[in-house]
Amino acid sequence: MLITCPYCGPRDVIEFTYQGDGNRQRPQPSSQDLDAWNAYVYDRLNPAGDHNEIWQHSGGCRAHLRVVRNTLTHEISSSGFARGDHKAAARHKSEAKS
Amino acid sequence: MVERQSPLEPEYYPGSHGNFEHGVDVILSETRPGSILQLAAWPGEEKRLMSAIYKATGLALPDGAGGGVTDGARSAFGFAPGKFTVVDEAEGLAAAFSGVVTPAIGTVTDLSHGRTAMRIAGPKAEWVLAKFFAIDFALPAFPIGAGRSTTHHDVFAQIQRTGADQFDIYVFRSFARSFWKALCHASEEVGYEVQ
Amino acid sequence: MSPRRTETGGRIDRLRTIRFTFDGTPYTGYAGDTLASALLANGVTLFGRSFKYHRPRGVLTAGVEEPNALVTVLRGEVREPNIAATMVEIYDGLVAVSQNRFPSLAWDVNAINQLGGKILSAGFYYKTFMGPVIGPLKGTRFWMFCEHFIRRAAGLGRAGTAADPERYERMNAFCDVLVVGSGPAGLMAARAAADQGQRVILCELEPHFGGSANWSGETIDGTPVADWAARAVGQLEGHDNVRLLPRTTVWGYYDGNTLAALERVTDHKEAPAKGEPRHRYWAIRAKSVVLATGSFERPLVFPGNDRPCVMLAHAAERYANEFGVLPGDRIALFTNNDSAYRSALALKSAGAAIVAIIDVRQDLSSEMRKLATDAEAEILSGHAVVSTEGGKALSGLKVQRFDMVSGALTGDARSIHADCLLMSGGWSPTIHLASQAGARAEWDAARQAFLPPKPTQKWVGAGAFIGSFSTAEAIAEGRAAGLSAAGATGAPTALPVVDAAPGDPDPAPVFEIKAKGKSFVDFQHDVTAEDVRLAHREGFVSVEHLKRYTTLGMATDQGKSSNVPGLAIMAEALGKPIPEVGTTRFRPPYSAVSIGSLAAERFGDLKPERLTPMHDWHIANGATMYSAGLWYRPMIYGLAGETIEQAYVREAKATRDSAGIVDVSTLGKIAVQGPDAAELLDRVYTNMFSTLAVGKARYGLMLREDGLAFDDGTTWRLGEQNFLMTTTTANASKVMQHLEYFLDVIWPELKVTVTSVTDEWAGAAIGGPKARAILAACVKGTAVDNVTLPFMGIVHGKIADVPVMICRLSFSGEMAFEVYSGAGYGTHVWEALIEAGKPFGLVTYGLEALGTMRIEKGHVTGAEIDGRTTARDLHLDWMLSKKKPFIGSAMMDREGLIAPDRLQLVGLVSLDNRPLNGGAHIVEELDEANPHGSIGHITACCYSPALGKHIALALVSGGKARHGTRAFVSDPLRNRFGPIEIVSNHFYDPDGSRMHG
Repeated sequence: MLITCPYCGPRDVIEFTYQGDGNRQRPQPSSQDLDAWNAYVYDRLNPAGDHNEIWQHSGGCRAHLRVVRNTLTHEISSSGFARGDHKAAARHKSEAKS
Repeated sequence: MVERQSPLEPEYYPGSHGNFEHGVDVILSETRPGSILQLAAWPGEEKRLMSAIYKATGLALPDGAGGGVTDGARSAFGFAPGKFTVVDEAEGLAAAFSGVVTPAIGTVTDLSHGRTAMRIAGPKAEWVLAKFFAIDFALPAFPIGAGRSTTHHDVFAQIQRTGADQFDIYVFRSFARSFWKALCHASEEVGYEVQ
Repeated sequence: MSPRRTETGGRIDRLRTIRFTFDGTPYTGYAGDTLASALLANGVTLFGRSFKYHRPRGVLTAGVEEPNALVTVLRGEVREPNIAATMVEIYDGLVAVSQNRFPSLAWDVNAINQLGGKILSAGFYYKTFMGPVIGPLKGTRFWMFCEHFIRRAAGLGRAGTAADPERYERMNAFCDVLVVGSGPAGLMAARAAADQGQRVILCELEPHFGGSANWSGETIDGTPVADWAARAVGQLEGHDNVRLLPRTTVWGYYDGNTLAALERVTDHKEAPAKGEPRHRYWAIRAKSVVLATGSFERPLVFPGNDRPCVMLAHAAERYANEFGVLPGDRIALFTNNDSAYRSALALKSAGAAIVAIIDVRQDLSSEMRKLATDAEAEILSGHAVVSTEGGKALSGLKVQRFDMVSGALTGDARSIHADCLLMSGGWSPTIHLASQAGARAEWDAARQAFLPPKPTQKWVGAGAFIGSFSTAEAIAEGRAAGLSAAGATGAPTALPVVDAAPGDPDPAPVFEIKAKGKSFVDFQHDVTAEDVRLAHREGFVSVEHLKRYTTLGMATDQGKSSNVPGLAIMAEALGKPIPEVGTTRFRPPYSAVSIGSLAAERFGDLKPERLTPMHDWHIANGATMYSAGLWYRPMIYGLAGETIEQAYVREAKATRDSAGIVDVSTLGKIAVQGPDAAELLDRVYTNMFSTLAVGKARYGLMLREDGLAFDDGTTWRLGEQNFLMTTTTANASKVMQHLEYFLDVIWPELKVTVTSVTDEWAGAAIGGPKARAILAACVKGTAVDNVTLPFMGIVHGKIADVPVMICRLSFSGEMAFEVYSGAGYGTHVWEALIEAGKPFGLVTYGLEALGTMRIEKGHVTGAEIDGRTTARDLHLDWMLSKKKPFIGSAMMDREGLIAPDRLQLVGLVSLDNRPLNGGAHIVEELDEANPHGSIGHITACCYSPALGKHIALALVSGGKARHGTRAFVSDPLRNRFGPIEIVSNHFYDPDGSRMHG
């Protein structure tokens, strides 16, 4: 599997670390809403199809990416920096399929 | 001044090795730069950091991810969003940045001891490096001056192309001897010289 | 020279004689021969014994699909079993032996298995495994009883035990167009893409490029096709944008157009050149791929089809045209299609007599009749072979009239004298890579074959691979595929003109001749047509189940020749058309891959390892090294004659009596810099860091999001916006990722840089009553007294002219200091400290003494922060700030995490004065016969020189309330039972007076 890092370009999946479900919403740090914390820490979507994921290019530029990956075909339909303010640093457009 | 110890020393054997009877196709060396710095800009401050690098070193970094430049004695390249490695043959480069990179621009981290620099040069440099790293070393994909961040197994590496057939590889010091041995091993096939 | 070698012809080098042995007998061949062609040339017909029945087997094919002629190749002590003789290039000194025979190939005692066919029929493993329902051998006992005999009798070559000294390497390659297969289609594709300026890689699994061009005997533009191919290859060699990889099998097609290939670099050489790998594993990332992998000829299924000298028709043609070897003098052919007629003519031209062409079809075209006439062969149309005769070679065969529609055999059997029978059951495109890459193959009724599925990745197919079996089509499609892969549309151009024998590509839909006797479908696994029907009768309807039950197609050849005939027989049994039965999906690898090539450089001396700056000093000074993850750390510095325990007890005692020094360079170190650095630390640590003064350090604890303990360490404030965080050695990279994740994903607004500086600093911890005096003796530029350097204080100075940073903190419980210097100066500073310590009795100590002193102090490490414990469990609740939220603060107070009966950290003292063991359980009541009732377990243990006792740290249910009570250690695995006392984890100097000084 190849993931297109917006900074480094398409790289082998071996350079990346899966950093979890990209749909999780972290409650406000001071929130005492245990249900919300519970959902954030434990609840995971498990779709058969497109899934929002966080991957870190740990064996490269170490940036975290938001990746939409099809869990049935491994097809990656988009990938971009998790940080919005890194857009300027992007060199490689996410490729729907290479 | 006390001389810095090289992590490669016991495994550093100058001379020709491997299949060199058919010619030496790569030359390996440890470049031992005096200064290796990591500079990071806050988002939006990249241009100011790049001009700070120019002010301190005279190196004009090109725009774009992984862009880099070298003048022989000094080199700089981007290795991550907003982050640059700047290398100088001489020690003490961090001091040159102390007033230049302000907290409003970003940070300077001195890695002069923490990273070990190795150089591989010669017609088979791309061939040998392709044994380690899953990146495209061909000149059009990896132009002179440019930098790349990648990994060989657990060994994280930053690589700058400093010539048409020359690459400088920066690895964590603790891994350096292990990687150096592997680099020599992989070069045996093409014949190599350690300088 | 040899009985079967033709006078002329072939692409072998008749001037270079090669000497080799097979089963100890010396033979000769020519350069360019395979082991199969050389043995055939020497008149050898018997190559091996079959898997279950030990039937004599010869060579069936001339290529990678060979199921029968498997041999073991010996190189020194190293034996490599199950290599197809058709794929072994001979070299001087080659030693090959046959397999699965005892005591010899010609006389094999297990051939008696042939008489016991019923017992070894379909599913025999499963049936044996189930065993009788009653009796002494009921159930799996029967399997256990039989296994030894079955494993001995059924099987392939024996694996070797000698270490493989060969070198294997991995290569990463990138290209625009990867062309797989170098027949006419592949060559045209590579040429077309290369002419477009594309970066092209051309892989050919055989030693020579050209595929069928090497043996088809056709001409292109008036020149022999083999010469045309050689010229095309020469042109490609002239392109510097083309990489040609012969002997390279593309065996896997993965996501993202990543393909795996195995290059056999030196298998054909007597000895590799210096540094040359035996195999290269190529990981190829291709923008697009041209699949020109050709097709396999299928055997026909009839009684005795496995006898030596029964061979595929094109294989014989190949042996004649490519290797100058005739597989027989009197050759008969049995076919359901036109391609065999060309083979007949080729063999006739090479000097053999064609005694008959037996064709299941009644009506033959005039072109085929003409070819048969040219070959001087008798045509037996509407006939089928019903049996073969002979032992280790063929002596003859019997034919009968055959009705293609009903399958009925009629009339008297007629005997034909022949020493070689060639069969052709039609052709199956080699669709393996396309199948691996995506969708299901599609059945083509005309071709009676599965054609490649529609691409789901970026590939284009050409030639026989897509069912276009003629060279003219291959050339046209190859060029088009090359252009298409290159993203170009080439102008129409005059294509080379092919002169080839005529032929209809569509075979008759006949796969099996049902007559008395064993008819083999899968030659290598000895699966017969009757086995397939038996499986059906026993209720197997899914093709996937059929495959596993009969083991059809599961041998090392992966059913390359047997798949389609097997399916056809299954379909007939089910009464369904083949497409409804479906086919199995092909999985990597396409053909056998050496494990060495997969491991490549990642073993032995080349495994990555991490060394501290003082590593060589430790080795030179008698340290026994211990691998901790990738790091190497001194375990003990043993003196002559010392045991490990004696060494660490001495080291720990000396440290507490005077002083000791230990290398702590492996501790994870992270530079945390920027205006929001303190804010980040407040959020990730349970305690406060924004209040820490510059020049001071603080012990910190991190939790995970779920509220469980994560990691601990000290963090030093070096400047207002500059911290040095330390982590445990094991968690360094996890903590780094943790921080990066929160900075990138959760709190992008924080202006903080985190950088791994573990390798920047060499660290030496020096502790003990004399530690301060030793530092005072060697540190310049700063005082180290209690005022200048209080507990948790940091000073900067110099040791032996090198700048150092010293922090006063303690893991050992003694007055202790960590001295950091640039890693390149690490040994220099270390030696200066050792020198300064000599008058004070300073000792070096290793991980064992370090662990001992930390157990005495009751400090926690990864053994206690095991992912299941909370801060409270470890009595670190004093570190949980109530003034701020932090990672884990919301979840840490959930009821299960604060229950009073949780496992809590305690100390244990052995009351019987015997050592304790890590992992041993703690029980309230001892029951050696029936150990039960664990209330916890030991996490770390040692002999404590300070206490003179065997002690341990343990996690015990409700542990704190049990202080002062007795319990027992229950360790049935190591047979260690005995009384213990549960105490506080702070065994030694609980009020810390020693370290605070």
